[in-house]
Amino acid sequence: MAKALNEALRHSLAEDPRALVLGEDIGKLGGVFRVTEGLQDEFGSARVFDTPLAEAAIAGVSLGLALAGWHPVAEMQFDGFSYPALDQIISHIAKYRYRSRGRQTVPLVIRIPFAGGIGAAEHHSESPEAYYAHTAGLKVVIPASPIDAYGLLRHSIADPDPVIFLEPKSRYWSKEEGSLEAGADGSLPIGKARVVREGSDCTIVTYGAMVARSLAAASRASADGVEVEVLDLRSLVPLDLESLVGSVSRTGRAVVVHEAPLTAGFGAEVVARIVEDCFDYLEAPVLRVTGYDTPYPPATIESHYVPSVQRILAAVDRVTNY
Amino acid sequence: MLPLEGSAGPDPTSLGLKEEELRELYRLMALTRRADLEATALQRQGELAVYPPLIGQEAAQIGSAFALEESDWIFPSYRELGSAVVRGVDLVEYLAFYRATWHGGTYDANAHRFGYVSVPVASQILHAVGYAMGAKLDGISLVSLVYFGDGATSEGDFHEGCNFAAVFEAPVVFFCQNNQWAISVPVAAQTVAPIWRKAQAYGFPGVQVDGNDVLAVYQATREAAARARDEGTPTLIEAVTYRIGPHSTADDATRYRTADEVEAWRGLDPLDRYRRWLAGTGVADDSYFEAVEGETRDFAARLRAGVIASEPRPVEEMFEWVFADIPPHLARQREEALRLASEDRKDGGRG
Amino acid sequence: MAVRDFLLPDLGEGLEDAEIVAWRVAAGDPVELNQVLVEVNTAKALVEIPAPWAGVVERLHAAEGDVVEVGKPLVSIRVSEEAEEQARPKRRAVLVGYGVEEEESPAPPPSRPGSRKEEGGPVAASPPVRRLAKELGVDLAKVTGTGPGGRVTREDVTAAGSSPTGDERVPVRGVRRLTAEKMARSAREIPHVTTFLTVDASQLDAFRRDLEARLGSKVTALPVIVRAFVEILKEHRSLNASFDAAASEIVLRRDVHVGIATETERGLLVPIVRHADRLGIGALAAEISRLVEAARAGRSAPDELTGGTVTVTNVGSFGAESGTPIINHPESSILAVGVIEPRALVVDGRVEARQAVTLSLSFDHRVLDGAEAGRALRALGALLEDPSGLAALPS
Repeated sequence: MAKALNEALRHSLAEDPRALVLGEDIGKLGGVFRVTEGLQDEFGSARVFDTPLAEAAIAGVSLGLALAGWHPVAEMQFDGFSYPALDQIISHIAKYRYRSRGRQTVPLVIRIPFAGGIGAAEHHSESPEAYYAHTAGLKVVIPASPIDAYGLLRHSIADPDPVIFLEPKSRYWSKEEGSLEAGADGSLPIGKARVVREGSDCTIVTYGAMVARSLAAASRASADGVEVEVLDLRSLVPLDLESLVGSVSRTGRAVVVHEAPLTAGFGAEVVARIVEDCFDYLEAPVLRVTGYDTPYPPATIESHYVPSVQRILAAVDRVTNY
Repeated sequence: MLPLEGSAGPDPTSLGLKEEELRELYRLMALTRRADLEATALQRQGELAVYPPLIGQEAAQIGSAFALEESDWIFPSYRELGSAVVRGVDLVEYLAFYRATWHGGTYDANAHRFGYVSVPVASQILHAVGYAMGAKLDGISLVSLVYFGDGATSEGDFHEGCNFAAVFEAPVVFFCQNNQWAISVPVAAQTVAPIWRKAQAYGFPGVQVDGNDVLAVYQATREAAARARDEGTPTLIEAVTYRIGPHSTADDATRYRTADEVEAWRGLDPLDRYRRWLAGTGVADDSYFEAVEGETRDFAARLRAGVIASEPRPVEEMFEWVFADIPPHLARQREEALRLASEDRKDGGRG
Repeated sequence: MAVRDFLLPDLGEGLEDAEIVAWRVAAGDPVELNQVLVEVNTAKALVEIPAPWAGVVERLHAAEGDVVEVGKPLVSIRVSEEAEEQARPKRRAVLVGYGVEEEESPAPPPSRPGSRKEEGGPVAASPPVRRLAKELGVDLAKVTGTGPGGRVTREDVTAAGSSPTGDERVPVRGVRRLTAEKMARSAREIPHVTTFLTVDASQLDAFRRDLEARLGSKVTALPVIVRAFVEILKEHRSLNASFDAAASEIVLRRDVHVGIATETERGLLVPIVRHADRLGIGALAAEISRLVEAARAGRSAPDELTGGTVTVTNVGSFGAESGTPIINHPESSILAVGVIEPRALVVDGRVEARQAVTLSLSFDHRVLDGAEAGRALRALGALLEDPSGLAALPS
């Protein structure tokens, strides 16, 4: 996935002369996850540049650059370090189009490696997507697989609105067969979910790193004769209501899976939408399998926190036997 | 530059300004003073929800804004109605922010190159820096001037902005109106290091100027703009002035400062001072001042009428500029809101 | 020149009132636009309020020391003409920080996406209904949904449900359900006794035909009998009463509102003839006719179906000779009129074929006893057999 993202940045920089890439250590080092590797060499340090260590400034300056007609793609080095930028993101980036009545728009992307499962230290495994989803004026995009990451990042950079692009870092090294360009041509735009596995008995609604895990669970369930459909949301805002409702109405059962903590997590939003629009098709209550309402735990016990195949299967079991 | 009293002050021909420009500075300050008083009165009459008066700071704003080129960008905080006047922003549209009509007011920032009111203190500094960096990338020669107060120099965004501007050699003028007060906190409790000297930490010049001397402000800003434009070196200007009025119409300044202090600064009124010099040098005469006085009356009357006549925006607009295109979930919400609003109108309701 | 009221505005972010500290003008003073009118004290500050219009002060609405609420008149000013041009309907000062004051209107239920019931597609039914279907062993796919958008409702499921013995289950809804509940309650609470009397109807018949000719409108036997019954009630008030168990009292009703039991498609309805004692037979006949027709058409007004004090049921209309009618709770009696047909009666010691009708009177044994009921029924019968008695009834 890291390579796919790298390619997306490369192609965007090549095709869009207004695209910029900035952040800490993204230039010469190529980013701590190598996502920006080689870009500065190819496009020069005017368009691909390192910034001082100042997240609020990275966001605020990106806004200023956008006002000056550029398309900045800024990186927050880690999820846990994105918080100093929240004021600029929430108070300004999300609101500039609205405040200016459409005269000043903010076509920028803020890329944030997020979520856990990589044995990292404190602050390096946060799942902050709900804060951004809850802020009107931001789009929130979360790829789950390499080829989709390519397409989604390219779409995000081209989007006229600010996009918070959350990259599941545990999937950075995941591999996928296929061609990027072909994938890109067929890639769904922002705001469209994808059924990554069809099934008739239950829908798992999920995103990011949990897509792969849900697929693993679905595979196991299949052995027991339960066919699980896995729906990858791909963007939380805007949410693809049509696909969500279509799938759950068909299967009649839904389980929402995300790594972020339970209370007020994005899963609650998904459940509310399902109840509102699929009430007459529900055979069982809609369940969530999520991180617990604790700070992300030390890596030595993180496997008990992140939804496991076992926990997902238990939920699928409960709804299919309701 | 302008004397407080007594001596004649600088020779008008030495400033690189034409006589009509010298008179224009006064006219702009007078219009600003009058508009500011009118806006305060309008709030007290229930026509504006709140208003932060700038009375006493006219020279700092007019002098600096006047020193810029038309192509330069101004990023204001929330008290720069004077700079808006210089840029030709329609004040009824500017005050739409304070009338709670729309968060940015209703003017077009691009048309005047004067940004929207930024309430979170110091946050606009980063936007100004980013803008300057963007212009520089395009090889466009322009200056980004950002206004902020003494309190803002304590915020992280100020430091991050100064640092970025220095590192990237961005053409920025950091203009601090040190009006001595951050609501009720005096500048002595705000910072130990003098504000102008903070620039040294970032590696670019800092200057302190008498903010109530419009010519001095003009001069300092002109130099800083040239330095930014030609060398890519930012400057921090600390304009020493005084906030004669309260922080806003919701503030009671008598709780934290003395009437004596305010009166002392009233005696240093920037308009009076400049007027004396204009009259003394013969650049302007009584008939000019009378004409300006008449113009400010009309200006204020038009402002009053325009504010009073302006209506709340239609409910549809609440959903209009969230995204470029309205996504399905939001379209549904808009439908509901509009339906309720039209039922409400049928009931002859709240409107 | 008009007088305008200047209402105290919200002076700062949600304030509710202000105290008048010092007036700077008095009634009769001329004022200029923005001239300071008054100094007030708010929760936050001492504030000077400038005049919004030029003119002459008409009236001060509060004295120094008074507290004025935001939105209430502070001062009235007789405005000059230019000021009037500027003035327009005052906008209500928004209490910044409090928002605009209004009640929350409840959000209407979200619009439901259209029915998705296609061939072989998922069936729409809410979760509780699904559970019921499961319990009853009903296959939702085989049920026709009568709810919005083709949704299968609880009633649909119970109607479709079958018990293991193969019996048919008919849901009881609406009027029938209400009647069922009322009947059960009446039977439960009122000790019923029925007394019978067969009456020679030849005089009644002759009278009826005569009256019909005189009035020029149709008069059946029923209105005559009802009017006669109503006449009897004057003497026999316990038949037009109610037993109040809680108070342990018999309520002898002042008014006579006669319910006419009517079979309709939807079930048994009892429209009421109000103040039947004030109506002549002709008017009574017309009213009964009107009420019955409305009830059968489902067009009864709600107040036509409540408030009765006694009921008459024409069991003869479906051929019954007599019956043991159930009292219309909380009344104390009900009269069933059987079919009028030839019977073998004993007249002057000989058996003759005569038109006859059996009257069945059920009564609440807490309110009446057999003797009294028997007397009342006898009186009614005597009236119906007596031509002069019949003639004395108002027509």
